[in-house]
Amino acid sequence: MLILTRRPGESLYLGDTIKLKILSVQGKQIKIGLDVPEDMTVYREEVYLKIKEQNRQALEISQQDLLAAAALWQKKEQKK
Amino acid sequence: MTRLGEREIRADSIIYFPRGLVGLEDKREFSLLPIREGDSPFLLLQCTTDPGLGLLVADPYSFLDDYDVKIENPERKVLKVENIRQLAVLVTVTIPQDKPEDTTLNLQGPIVINTEAKIGLQVPQTEAGYPTHFHPIGA
Repeated sequence: MLILTRRPGESLYLGDTIKLKILSVQGKQIKIGLDVPEDMTVYREEVYLKIKEQNRQALEISQQDLLAAAALWQKKEQKK
Repeated sequence: MTRLGEREIRADSIIYFPRGLVGLEDKREFSLLPIREGDSPFLLLQCTTDPGLGLLVADPYSFLDDYDVKIENPERKVLKVENIRQLAVLVTVTIPQDKPEDTTLNLQGPIVINTEAKIGLQVPQTEAGYPTHFHPIGA
């Protein structure tokens, strides 16, 4: 991993389209400003990892459980 | 072949995911297959280039009326949204092994599809505070 030291107000460029600016440091929190291309999405890592894990879980469902869940829901619907 | 056995997938039903899915960025082409005949809210998002790869997804509005998905400008651009009515929303589903009654909907990473342009994108919800595991059954 490349490690750089920056002060508040200083910036970094990733390639020529992404600008990352350190806005302020307060205790353990660092405020970062990002200038990124219009169609670039930026996500917090913890959210991204959680969704990745959920996708994996949605992939691993056995066919049996899949049909059982569908049947269960259908039953519930009919009861309404 | 699909995870549900042999199914015919029409070329015009293929949805293109320019960014893939989170953690599956290299899978770009999917098709939505009903799990059972009739009116089930569950579907299989089947990768058309990898028969063994299919995610269980559901229509969240069958379970919740007020699920509000936020789509930012960069995502609108990828999805080529012209009109909000073009969009369909799906969520992935988790079923713990042998416990279908504990099925949960994952509300933090909805999959949004432009049904006219046939473009799909997973849109992580960062601020909405939705649970990652919402219990629709037995709730």
